[in-house]
Amino acid sequence: MKESPQIQRLEEVLRSSKLVAGGFMGNDVRSVSEIIDADAAQLARLGFTARQIGARMQEITDIAKGALGNWLRIDDERRAKAEEAKGAIVCPWPHPGRFAKRVTTVNVIESDQSVRWADLNIHLIAEHGFFEGKGSNFRIEPDILVKIIF
Amino acid sequence: MLVSIFIAVTVVSSIGAGLAAMLSISEYFFANYGPCQITINEERKLTVEGGKDLLSMLATEKIFIPSACGGRGTCGLCKLKVLEGAAPLLPTEEPYLDEKEKKSNVRLSCQVKVRNDIKIEIPAELFAIREYTCRCVDITDLTYDIKQFRFELVEPNTMDYIPGQYVQLLTPIYEKSSEEVYRAYSMASDPSDKHRIEAIIRLMPGGICTTYCFEYLKVGDVAKVNGPYGDFRLSDTDSPMVFIAGGSGMAPIKCILHQMKNEGIKRKATYYFGANTVKDMFMVELMRAFEKELYDFRFVPSVARPQENEKWDGEVGLVTEVVQRDLKNAAECEAYLCGSPGMIDAAIKVLTEMGMSQEKIFYDKFG
Repeated sequence: MKESPQIQRLEEVLRSSKLVAGGFMGNDVRSVSEIIDADAAQLARLGFTARQIGARMQEITDIAKGALGNWLRIDDERRAKAEEAKGAIVCPWPHPGRFAKRVTTVNVIESDQSVRWADLNIHLIAEHGFFEGKGSNFRIEPDILVKIIF
Repeated sequence: MLVSIFIAVTVVSSIGAGLAAMLSISEYFFANYGPCQITINEERKLTVEGGKDLLSMLATEKIFIPSACGGRGTCGLCKLKVLEGAAPLLPTEEPYLDEKEKKSNVRLSCQVKVRNDIKIEIPAELFAIREYTCRCVDITDLTYDIKQFRFELVEPNTMDYIPGQYVQLLTPIYEKSSEEVYRAYSMASDPSDKHRIEAIIRLMPGGICTTYCFEYLKVGDVAKVNGPYGDFRLSDTDSPMVFIAGGSGMAPIKCILHQMKNEGIKRKATYYFGANTVKDMFMVELMRAFEKELYDFRFVPSVARPQENEKWDGEVGLVTEVVQRDLKNAAECEAYLCGSPGMIDAAIKVLTEMGMSQEKIFYDKFG
């Protein structure tokens, strides 16, 4: 499928290292639209929407950030920590949007399975349905994310 | 029939060629802004090729405006006054400017494109900021994710700075970054050694500069910094001082402690340094040495949650909880904070609740 000039420009930004080391696409050869469509299909099979996922991620980050980088029990099964650095990162999509450089890690205590995301990931998932390309620093597999946070 | 096809092809090709020519002409007139003049403080004039942002154009001319985000419009530090010639204020600038600044034409220089002659006003002291070529001479692991980098200044080979200030380190193009970027790091060095500067850097996953420093920068490599920048510094009062820091926030406090030792400053000071676990704690021995060398200095390290197998006999809890328990005369003190934005916000809340006025709390949050 032929991509619009806007999508081509977006893909250039996502594949570049302008905002994060190594870019948002990792070594994924699929286009950004293909990645978003494939993850959306998987989410539908799992019975969730991207906005529901984003809301739960935000809820966990909001609880965890009060512990200033330390693990905090968020419920009977999980703990989370939110580590923060100075500065902010902007959304690669062409609209205003800046996010704290904060990384939240959630750990399921019994299985020791973990998943991590940056504040920007919450926005990318909730607003753009983008879980990043495979091989990128912050690629999140939708099925693993759902299993861990719900 | 063939003639008709030939005419049709010729007409279509001519239209295509005409459109391409129009596109090139419009690009020349609308996207090429030609030479533009930047007048600084009504006295210095620079002629530049128009089209780029003001921050990078000034940097090309060796005039360095403070910026912690490398010109991405996310730190709000690169403010200057644009008196004439700027396009209207952008939505990306608005969150960083108060009403007074907007009325007096303050802009974020990274968001202002130079497309015509422009008049700006910048503080004269910024002319003193310089670019330094230096060489990395030592890299020390402080914890599993924090390193200390020492740079020897080559050209110029000395730097005068006020303890608490920061420099911008240039990250060159490398495997994981397609363009040069600057990031701000507080100096941790002993200011009496004017030939070397130190930075304490924590690895940020996916961070362009920290990834470069941790994975690519080697002892012997040439690096570039510019500076010094920042207003974070000791006040000239006699008030007792409270330092509160965590992680790489150690850097400017360490630099200030060297200054207190070098200058024989006789002010009472307490340093609360927080770590999450024992393996996140560092430079305790150096701080204990400062306790012996400084006039009246106490170091209070704290670990939020010592692990089962970790030996720790110091304070336990978040650094802000330790401050709440330990500090008795907050209203009389000044506080100097350095750490994550969350830690700074939490410390300000605790200190003001304990009676310290906001004007006595100093910090660099770097946006």
